[in-house]
Parts: sequence; structure tokens; C-alpha cells
Amino acid sequence: MDLYPFWNSLRIAAISCGIVFFLGILCAHYVAKLPRVLKGILDVILTLPLVLPPTVVGYLLLVLLGPNRIFGSWMMSTFHTRMTMVWYSAVFASAIVAFPLMYRTARGAFESFDPNLRDSARTLGLSNTYIFWRIQMPCCRQGILAGTVLAFARALGEYGATSMVAGYTPGRTATISTTVYQLWRTNNEALAFRWVMINIAISFVVLMAVNLLERRERREVRK
Amino acid sequence: MKHMKKTLAVIIAALVLLLALSACGEIQQEEAVSSSGPEEVEEVTLQVFAAASMTETLDAIIAQYEEENPGVTIVPTYDSSGTLKTQIQEGAECDLFISAAQKQMNQLDAAKTEEQGNEEGLDFVLSDTRVDLLENKVVLAVPDDNPADIQSFQDLATDKLTLLCIGNEDVPVGAYSEEILNALEILDALKAANKITYGTNVKEVTTQVKEGTVDAGIIYATDAYSAELTVVDDSGSDYCSPVIYPAAVMKGTANEEAAKAFLDYLQSAAAMKIFREVGFTAP
Repeated sequence: MDLYPFWNSLRIAAISCGIVFFLGILCAHYVAKLPRVLKGILDVILTLPLVLPPTVVGYLLLVLLGPNRIFGSWMMSTFHTRMTMVWYSAVFASAIVAFPLMYRTARGAFESFDPNLRDSARTLGLSNTYIFWRIQMPCCRQGILAGTVLAFARALGEYGATSMVAGYTPGRTATISTTVYQLWRTNNEALAFRWVMINIAISFVVLMAVNLLERRERREVRK
Repeated sequence: MKHMKKTLAVIIAALVLLLALSACGEIQQEEAVSSSGPEEVEEVTLQVFAAASMTETLDAIIAQYEEENPGVTIVPTYDSSGTLKTQIQEGAECDLFISAAQKQMNQLDAAKTEEQGNEEGLDFVLSDTRVDLLENKVVLAVPDDNPADIQSFQDLATDKLTLLCIGNEDVPVGAYSEEILNALEILDALKAANKITYGTNVKEVTTQVKEGTVDAGIIYATDAYSAELTVVDDSGSDYCSPVIYPAAVMKGTANEEAAKAFLDYLQSAAAMKIFREVGFTAP
């Protein structure tokens, strides 16, 4: 059994989760501070990928990244790099689809952060960067963690947009989800079933880890 | 809390409005149907499942047929023949099935033995209505300007190629492609070098070539024509079995006569003219 789809899926999910982690927190932090109207509009735009069908995201990505399209042709002529049908094409797809999950949970956490804590930290002469990373982030740990896990899980399960921009090339762009689809289509049910079990196992472990972390945290708080 | 209630009210109001609007549309449609008069012929809706490669031609023929036969509405579904076969097997409502290869039709036809391809013992086809409707050709197509400079099937074995798109083995064009690459003895090398990306029907392969995301793709002559793609090698059919499109009315159809009439029309000179325009031939 060729384990390439396993490593490729993990790699794609981990990288897009990393991107989404910082981008989501950044956006959440700044959007939470904006005036109401602007906040409402930006919020809708940033949440859009959550409700759009993955095929729409895939289509828009293709229109942007295809070798005959604006950005894709520029990348091709300047860096001789293909933006589609390579493994990292799937990173764009999963990152976009997973982004709203991180952004929304982080924003929720930031909004429930007690502003008195920030103000008192300021009276102690602490810098904004210090307050953000050492006070606000630890206080919002729960929400951030939940968002990260959701984003990772969503990125791992991305199929629609991925299959459009990265395709299914065994040993190159194959992920667990596209492999399962191809195996099912070509009547290789035994192997498809094994990949399904692998995927369920990964998701199980990830969610289990989160529950354990949360429980440990609760115990620490009680102490 | 007050704010939330207000938002909720707005959302509910919007939903109600949407529902009311869509209901209006339906009523208007019904009126339009009933106002067409009692002397009209009986309304028939035919579900036609056809290979993806027939999309443009069959759409044109259906428009023509519906104009000549008021009262008949034809609803086509286009996908890879393998997908359509699975859908029929799973109980999808289908009156007429046109496959891009004998394999999928044989799998559904009780007149075929296990050795002839009906491995699962399925019985969905009215065997006496089955005809070989069309013949197509398998070609090698490249994106505009041919950036990788692929000129023939033989070129696929060279370093010029980084990525080739074909249908998977469940898609008829994919099976033909593997047959061709096998005959040229380059399939295993291409697979080992991970140079093949798989599409789930011929239109997907066509789009990938059109978008230039791959260096070349193996598709039907008719799809290359419809998508205005450059064909660099049309000798594909020399290396694989003939590409025949069988058609048959399905068992359990409620519209057997209408389906047979449409199948007859597909073989008429008027329909064949449209088929021939894009490169189909009579088998």
C-alpha cells in the first residue's frame, strides 16, 4: 500500500493550518476593533468560504491560478512555477476553506476577552504586543485551540476545491480524500475502505487529543 | 438579547419572502402549462442519461426534437458512462441510456453473459431496443500554443511531457487511453514517473487541457472539436478497440414508446447531421 496520500494529506493540512492560524488570529484581532459597519462587511467576506460550495472556491482559484490566467501565467513566466496540479495547489484550497473556522472562533474568543484586563495591563506600562501575546492569547486559549483543531480537520477533509486545482495524480497530488474517491470510482472497494479507516483514525486521534487537552486545562484552572 | 431577536426576525422575514416568491414562480408555471389547452397531446418527460462527450450535440438534437414534438420534454444527464451506469444500478430514474463504450451497457444488459461483461448479473436494459448509435475517435489534444511541444502519442514517452491527463479506468475514454498507452508500451513508465493525472469524465480532461494545467490530454475527437482544442495526433483509434456508443431503452421505464421514438430519431438523418458536424460517425 502506497502511503503517499497519507503524508501528502498531513503535509497539506499542517501547512494550511499553520497559515490559517496566524492569518485567522490577525484578522480576528483587527476586525474585532473595527467600527460596526465596516466590521459587518469584512466579517461577511471573511466568512464566505465557510458557506460557499468547495466547487465555487475551486473554480475561483482556477480562474486565478491557471497557467493561462492572470496570476498563474505571471508565476509561470517569472518563476517557472506551476500553480495548479501540484501538491501545494491543495494548500491554497484547504487554507481558504479552513480559514473562516479559525477566524470566527478566534474572533468570538477575543470579543469575550475582558477589556479591563487590557486596560489594567496598560496602566502597568506594558506594550500592546506584550499584552496581546502574553495576556490576551493565554486568556483566549480555549477558543484559539478549538479554532485550530477545526481548521486542521477541515483542511484534512478538503475534497471539492482540491480535486479541481490539484487534480488526482498518484504519487504527486493524491490526498486521502481524492484517493478514496478514485478508488471507489474504479471499483477498488477494499483499498478504498482501508483509506476510509485511516482517515477516521486520524480524525479520532485529533479530536481525542483536543478533549484531553481541554480536560487537563480545566483541572489546572481548578488548582 | 433584544438585538438577537431583531436579527432573528429579519432572517425569518427574508426566508418567508423567499418562499413566497418561489411559490409564485411555481404557480405561474402551472398556469402556463394548463393554459396550453386540453386538445394538446399528453405531456411526457424523458430522462436521458448520456456519455459526457455527447453534451453539445445531444443538447442541440433535444432542442430540435422538442420543437418538432410539443408535449415531449427531454431531461438529459451527462457524466462519465461509468458514473451513469452506477446511478442506474442504484435506482436512478432513466428512460434511455447512451454509453460511450459497450462495457457499461453490457454490465446492465441481461442478454449478456458473465463472460460478455455482465459480471453482477444486472438486468436494466430492454435488450431488443439496443443499437450501436455512434462511433468516435480517440485523439491527443494539447493546450493553445502547445507549450510542451507534444506532437504525437510517441512524444508522451519523452522528457517533454511533465503531466498527462486521462480519464480513470472507469471512464470509457480512460479505458481507451490505457489501451493505447499499453499498445505503445509506455503506460507503466508514465505511471512509475507519476506523470498521469486522472479525470472523472472526458469533459474534466478536456477542461484541464483547455486551461493548460496539463501538457496534453487523451480525449475524443468530438470533445476536442467542441472545445476548439488543437489535436496533434488522431491515430489513437488505431491502437485501441473501436469506440462505439451503444444506446438502449431501460427496463421499467414508464415511457417506453416515447423513449423508443426518441431513440429512432437519434438514428435519423436530421440527428446524424448534427452528430457528424462535430466528428461522430455512424458505426
